[in-house]
Amino acid sequence: MSLNTSTALASKLPQAKDLSHLLVPTFRIHQKSPFKAVMGTPTHDMINMAGGVPHPSTFPLEQVQATVRAPSHAALGRAGTLSLERTQASGSTESLNELLQYNDGRGMASYCRFLRKFTEQTHAPPYADWDVVASCGNTDSIAKAVSLFCQQGDHIIVEQYSFPGALSNLVFAKVKPVPVAMDSEGVDPVALDSLCSSWTGATPLRAIYMIPTGQNPTGATMSLARRKALYAVAQKHDLVIIEDDPYYFLQLGPMPDTQETAATDMSKLPLVPSLLSLDTDGRVIRLDSFSKILAPNLRCGWITAPAYIQDRMQILNESTILQPSGLTQGVISRLLNDTWGIEGWNEHLNSLRAAYSARRNLFVTLAHKHLAGLATFTVPTAGMFLWMRVDLGDAAADATAMPRLLDAMKKGGVMMAPDMPFRVTNAAAAAAPERFLRAAFALAETDMFEPALERLARAIASIRGSELQDTQSGTCAEPIDTMAPAPIAVNSST
Amino acid sequence: MAKPHSVDLSGLFTEATRVRDNSPLKSLTKYMEADSQLVSLGAGLPHPSTFPFAQIGARVAPAGASVANTAPADMLNVYVTTLPGAVEGLGKFLQYGNGRGVPSYAAFTHEHTQRVHDPKYSDWDTVVSLGNTDAFVKALMLFCSSGDTLLVDEWTYPAIIGTVVPMNVQLAPIRMDGEGMVPEALDDVCTSWTGERKLRMVYTIPTAQNPTGATMSIERKRAIYAVAQKHNLVIIEDDPYYYLQFEPYVAPSGTERYTNLPGIKNLVPSLLSLDTDGRVIRLDSFSKVLAPGLRCGWVTAPKYITDKIQFHNETSIQQPAGVSQAIVASLMNDQWGHAGWERHLVQIQREYAMRRDVFVDLCLKHLNGLVEFTVPDAGMFLWFRVLLRPELQSQTGVMQRVFDSMVANHVLLVPGYMFSPKGAEQKVRDEPYIRAAFSFAATTDFEVAITRLAQALAPFC
Repeated sequence: MSLNTSTALASKLPQAKDLSHLLVPTFRIHQKSPFKAVMGTPTHDMINMAGGVPHPSTFPLEQVQATVRAPSHAALGRAGTLSLERTQASGSTESLNELLQYNDGRGMASYCRFLRKFTEQTHAPPYADWDVVASCGNTDSIAKAVSLFCQQGDHIIVEQYSFPGALSNLVFAKVKPVPVAMDSEGVDPVALDSLCSSWTGATPLRAIYMIPTGQNPTGATMSLARRKALYAVAQKHDLVIIEDDPYYFLQLGPMPDTQETAATDMSKLPLVPSLLSLDTDGRVIRLDSFSKILAPNLRCGWITAPAYIQDRMQILNESTILQPSGLTQGVISRLLNDTWGIEGWNEHLNSLRAAYSARRNLFVTLAHKHLAGLATFTVPTAGMFLWMRVDLGDAAADATAMPRLLDAMKKGGVMMAPDMPFRVTNAAAAAAPERFLRAAFALAETDMFEPALERLARAIASIRGSELQDTQSGTCAEPIDTMAPAPIAVNSST
Repeated sequence: MAKPHSVDLSGLFTEATRVRDNSPLKSLTKYMEADSQLVSLGAGLPHPSTFPFAQIGARVAPAGASVANTAPADMLNVYVTTLPGAVEGLGKFLQYGNGRGVPSYAAFTHEHTQRVHDPKYSDWDTVVSLGNTDAFVKALMLFCSSGDTLLVDEWTYPAIIGTVVPMNVQLAPIRMDGEGMVPEALDDVCTSWTGERKLRMVYTIPTAQNPTGATMSIERKRAIYAVAQKHNLVIIEDDPYYYLQFEPYVAPSGTERYTNLPGIKNLVPSLLSLDTDGRVIRLDSFSKVLAPGLRCGWVTAPKYITDKIQFHNETSIQQPAGVSQAIVASLMNDQWGHAGWERHLVQIQREYAMRRDVFVDLCLKHLNGLVEFTVPDAGMFLWFRVLLRPELQSQTGVMQRVFDSMVANHVLLVPGYMFSPKGAEQKVRDEPYIRAAFSFAATTDFEVAITRLAQALAPFC
């Protein structure tokens, strides 16, 4: 099965540029594990007394099966039970015995085959020698990708607010994050260019880690024009781009206005192209995950990168996780290859986009209603996060205002993530910090959206020193901030 | 009598380990659970209604039987649905959690550890892993960082060597004999150590060692433990073959073999079970006793250490795959239970004992004068010393020619140098060792394999 849908086109694509000068010294030497090289030796007639692997007759499972629903209301006939059989392949998926056995660090063939097809369909990477490797989710992939290009004492560019799992990894790897400014569309390419041009740090900047779609925590999504500009800056400064994109397929419809109903037919709404789709050089390491588009604890994802990079990823996998759960890869392969097929998979993704759009629409409408004068935000066009700049009024300069707000929120019965774990600190940010809250609108029941936002509004108001009166119950938030102007006298009885 | 608390070894932690703490976002979930009135929009979790699975399950053999010997009607069904039952529902197995894994899976591993090892200090605990290679990395990184040295068996598991090189951790190999690491050698190396950084950790595979197949007696384990106490070392006890212990080998004689297998009750006790200080980090895996492709295991250590591993899990792999945990947890809770699990382990033990016996019978028959070896008391490995002719013993490159000869004779074993931290050195490449695994090839192929091996070696011996 050819990797690309058009072999004629594929043959015109360039090879990836050789960026091995950006790899850390250990990984510059192209190595395959010598042990695996021995294990790769077996020929047809060879009796293998080499592999310290168990015989499949010792695996006590005869069959694994799962019941799945149809990918969307429209897709009849694609629900039902999928199964993995002990010794036979099922459809295009390996037998249970193969899935349960030790395998190499690249991932099961059927799993990777689907993902190559899906990657070609979605991104059509514009260079020839790309490949996919299985991962156990993006947090682990981030650590591995960073370790290829950065060692202790190095620097890496990150968005000024970023995913705490990535930031923690940098701390443990002793790689220093260098924040680049963002606006409502994400990374500002002009700021990135200026940062790189004026860099005088001890070690060169070789990589940028970013979340270009439905960014965590800001919810920002880069437009195509912005992505092209960013890619040009990365080329100019010879940067590797670690494109962490778990929300890519959760791109949302437009907000409905009073004249229109929300678009629910997502198949008519194209996705903003990824950085991978622009990657003529082969400098993007793209991290995809099934966490938000199938289920988080499948612990399965995939990495797309040039083949010579993937050889290193394979070695990293083989000295840590070995590979993601072969059983789980088999279940996913059986679902995507044989049960839903790529058409059903695309339907499933579109139904997720519609579901997330409906939630976003409701949440944003209620936020506009309840938070006027208390918080501002840009409407997200992808993902699950609303990033609100909290207007603390006279209390803004008070360093205790944010902790007191969080306390008031908790007492009032609402929780959101504060900005601190996401912030990549630098002197400018510390001097005059804007304060943010990140609301995730994916999990809570939608009938709790309005109570949550009402409670938030009361909490913010109480910190600002003005109180909202809840006329229905006659109660209101207790004033906590003694430094604020004297509160308006309230009726505290029901 | 109350068990003592573990000795506090946190002074030996790396800087990174000291800093590892609860993920600030994950720690928000405890507020959520404490107050049902609280609406949380804090965590970026997808809604479980978006998970398209209604049920995940498996057909399994009854405990102690093999699939091949079980009639279809006798197969057991295990499954997990969206509704909780004996174990959690799919909404829990498929959702983000924390680095402790899904409670029913974690609880099973904890209880099993108590039953088999009965740890002797009070604050012992277990935490999930993706198997022992993953667990090794986590354990190593607790106490070793760039510039440190790890004490290891002189022949060891190759993935270790692959892991430490990019970390700039050196390996100090310790001499072994037929029972594994020699305690006097460990003591000597530690006593005479002049390196800049203190030695803090020793890594060993005490049962059916990879690659030598050596198994430590209880006396050897006590002696190793005493040396570790003397030098205040943490011990990584990597024990994936623990249950694959056999009765001593006897040549076939007409009387039935496999009547005296140790089962669970008569296994050589683990280093964990001797550990009064809390200095053993024990690595357990389902890979050799259920299946490698589940990618499930667990680590046993003092709680202040398992907490750190939990936090490390949360910034890397999160936890084992939910599908794997679901099948293991429902199998153990709904069908096999601990008694069934232990019956299964005995059946696996028997399978490997049979393989060991058939393999050793044939080695003794065909390889006389070509190799010498210690008969393994456990596991799946046999470590041959090739008896090279005297004039070949001092030549370079001979073992490469031996390997090429094996390939030409269509039999594959692993050259010994691949298991040495000094494997790049020519003199290690010339050491006359090869490792055979008797776990995988069909036993009916063993005689063909061994006669091919004899043919391959004969020109050199």
